[in-house]
Amino acid sequence: MKHFIITVAASSLALLAGHAVAQAPSDAQIASIVVTANQVDIDAGKLAESKGSNAEVKAFGKQMVTDHSGVNKQAVALVTKLKVTPEDNATSQSLKSGGADNVKNLEKLSGAAFDKAYVDHEVAYHQQVLDAIDKTLIPSAQNAELKSLLVTVRPAFVAHLEHAKHLQATLAKKS
Amino acid sequence: MRHAAAATLLALAGSALLGVALQATPAGAAAAERARTHEVVIQGLLYGPETLTVRPGDVVVWINKDPFPHTVTAAGVFDSGSIAAGKSWRFTAKKPGTHSYLCTLHTTMKGTLRVE
Repeated sequence: MKHFIITVAASSLALLAGHAVAQAPSDAQIASIVVTANQVDIDAGKLAESKGSNAEVKAFGKQMVTDHSGVNKQAVALVTKLKVTPEDNATSQSLKSGGADNVKNLEKLSGAAFDKAYVDHEVAYHQQVLDAIDKTLIPSAQNAELKSLLVTVRPAFVAHLEHAKHLQATLAKKS
Repeated sequence: MRHAAAATLLALAGSALLGVALQATPAGAAAAERARTHEVVIQGLLYGPETLTVRPGDVVVWINKDPFPHTVTAAGVFDSGSIAAGKSWRFTAKKPGTHSYLCTLHTTMKGTLRVE
């Protein structure tokens, strides 16, 4: 099941990468993708904060809620200023359903199994979002401020990915 | 005559300045030793400047311009704790040495504070 969820998440982002070739997303679509990608990780983080059994996993979940909420606040402020209305699209819809499936899967788990599934998904998710930022979102963004926002928040995804990988290794040692 | 007068004036002014400078030496040294305030801007998960050299007694202010919290932590030397988005943290440099620090929340972030 876990692999299925990760595959779904990966394919929604692969779809996003595929879009770059077919059709670059507009700024309104990028705005929707950014907000959705952050929201998906906020939802999973909230669940880890309450259901996680390992203290580091709980703290990581809490940090994901804080960091991605901060990024979204900044993104929403920017699109409001630019008078861009986020436009729902295949990628943002796919991210949303992938996120919902992940939460549904995590809700069934507990203890070490929950921690592992959550962290594994976080590694895959941040890697895929990072690829999308590099291959599709930054190259496609037309507005300079939107592009700059993506460039500024990119290192957060790198740091989160490193952190999640570190957690993954720590959990593997314990099991 | 006018030139001579001007030269005298200049010489007088020069010695006056020299006098001031000589007298001011102890005070000037004190002024140079007066604590300075340095700023490090945190943005895009980078400390800017990444390496900062200060003197003991100087104040360093880290300003977090990212939309989420960061820390400035050199184990055993200083630790800001969480610096919220848009907030800053001040630290008065004391112990001389090269202190490597990082953000405990995002360990990819690294900086160096040199106190000499």
